[in-house]
Amino acid sequence: MKANALELELVTDGDAQCLAAPEVGWFTCALPRGAVVAPGESAGRILALGRAYELIVPEGALGEVVSDPPELIRKPVAFREVLYRLAPVGNVAKAKPVARIEAATKSSALAIRAPQSGRFYHRSAPSEPPFVTVGAEITEGRPVGMIEVMKTFSHVVYRATAGLPKTAKIARMVAKDGADVKTGDVLIELEPAG
Amino acid sequence: MFQKILIANRGEVAVRIARAARASKMTVVGVCSTADQGAGWLAEMDEVVCIGGPSPRESYLRFDRIVQAALQTGATAIHPGWGFLAENARFAALCEQHGITFIGPSPRVMEMMGLKSPAKAAMRAAGLDVIPGSIGLLVDIDDALKVAARVGYPLILKADAGGGGRGMRLCHDDAALKAGYISASNEAQSAFGNGALYLESYLTGGRHIEVQVIGDRFGHAVHLYERECSIQRNHQKLIEESPSPALTPDQREELGARAARAAASIGYAGAGTIEFLRAQSGRIHFMEMNTRLQVEHPVTEMITGIDIVQEQFNVAANRSLRLSQIDVRVRGHAIECRINAEDPADDFRPSPGVITRMDVPLDRGPGTVRVDTHVAAGYEVPPYYDSLIAKVIVHAPDRTSAIETMVRTLSAAVIEGVATTIPLHLAVLASAEFARGEYDTRSIPGWKPRQKARV
Repeated sequence: MKANALELELVTDGDAQCLAAPEVGWFTCALPRGAVVAPGESAGRILALGRAYELIVPEGALGEVVSDPPELIRKPVAFREVLYRLAPVGNVAKAKPVARIEAATKSSALAIRAPQSGRFYHRSAPSEPPFVTVGAEITEGRPVGMIEVMKTFSHVVYRATAGLPKTAKIARMVAKDGADVKTGDVLIELEPAG
Repeated sequence: MFQKILIANRGEVAVRIARAARASKMTVVGVCSTADQGAGWLAEMDEVVCIGGPSPRESYLRFDRIVQAALQTGATAIHPGWGFLAENARFAALCEQHGITFIGPSPRVMEMMGLKSPAKAAMRAAGLDVIPGSIGLLVDIDDALKVAARVGYPLILKADAGGGGRGMRLCHDDAALKAGYISASNEAQSAFGNGALYLESYLTGGRHIEVQVIGDRFGHAVHLYERECSIQRNHQKLIEESPSPALTPDQREELGARAARAAASIGYAGAGTIEFLRAQSGRIHFMEMNTRLQVEHPVTEMITGIDIVQEQFNVAANRSLRLSQIDVRVRGHAIECRINAEDPADDFRPSPGVITRMDVPLDRGPGTVRVDTHVAAGYEVPPYYDSLIAKVIVHAPDRTSAIETMVRTLSAAVIEGVATTIPLHLAVLASAEFARGEYDTRSIPGWKPRQKARV
């Protein structure tokens, strides 16, 4: 059976790196305890509705498998269920934490924050241009994106409140198009206008 | 009967179905998104399979993952609930292909009733009045003009695959029809991949009255009388009641009998709802059929004493209908209010968040009270799904005491942490129009829309 490649999900449990199922299905061909995994390598398969998915180790995952393979040859697994727990190997440095998460939490003082929890969009429709781009100057009242809460869409509008200037420049789009955000999360970083 | 079923839904309806299944000694498999993982309502399930990310298209709409979850847990039937995949004929067909029973009608019937013009043709053939207009789809603009000359204006152009108002145009004369035909067809083509249009007389006002039917796979069908659902906002139902104050007992019997005959004539197996529009002229026209359990089904359960979900299990398991029409008797009056996490004082803005307190009393009489909910204090209403948090249903010997029971119950209900639509319900229930039963789909009696100025 020809298999489609599918990346495993990299999750953490406490300090330990784990690899989790990206699909619902039967997990098979599991690696044994002690196997060393590195990005791009295969680490078993998931079978679902007559298809086989080759599980690929994602970027940033590196280590030795310290969990036992399942007893069942075909073990039913749910989405994001942990398949492997990893430990750093010898003097191989622990893979560095994913950079973008670190950057995203380093918020500057000038920022537009999410007014509600929901899904943030850069554009009003997939075919439309984004509301704003990096480098653009914005003034009070300008829509900078949309937020979807319970199937209802509303504009995120720039307001010169809480120490924000009347005019500012877009420094960085922190929340990606289509990202899930919580109330108060930084959506867009700003810098003073020219 | 099934030993193990999977519920392809979440929240209130998932809990409703799980309780019915467990009462019939079935094992229940639930599915959830990563956003719902750990939610209190999942405790109603014997097993839970996480099927994907928060957005419905990553989880509750992933029919491949749902069917696989049923296969790997050994569930032999899937109940789709309402919304999500409940009216998706491809999903029903995929279940069938993998030897899993879809608890609902056949994919063929779902597909026919899902497209507006075949549904209308089938119901016309089954003897129901349909809204005057084109017979089948329009061939071209000349065809549309001929229909307009026969039926008269105002007319509404509609997309065969339509929904959500897209591909619809209201036309008052030939010029508007010519202009609307091309733009509506293009819009429908890009939105639904199907540019086919039909034409209907445009009826304003009127009342939304629907009939609950149940059929089996042996050609039998019964009706469970009607529900009146004219209290709506933006086509979202807010309050439902039964019997409808707009029908006489004779009209009620006749409408029900015609709906049951229509369901039997298309081989409808399962629970379904035929929606009618009662025009101001008093004529009752077929609008559409929903091939699933409805949100407001408890209204019918209260007045008939029949558990509709149990009847769905029964006919899905290839058994013949346990009910005959003479077993279906109406007792008293029932009203349902849908409590949504929305702020009616702020243009019904969705209000997700943590519910810190949730107390709805059940003993404020004179009638009985039923509360269908998946929510308890401490529950966080996620921002990804619809805003329904509870349904309050009351049953009393007559309409006046049903209204009184609802007013007392909602006045004493305490829900804290999120805004709810309870103030709207209380305003409607207190209005003279509602008390007289005189209302239609155009306005909400007793409610003055008030949009708070945004800062």
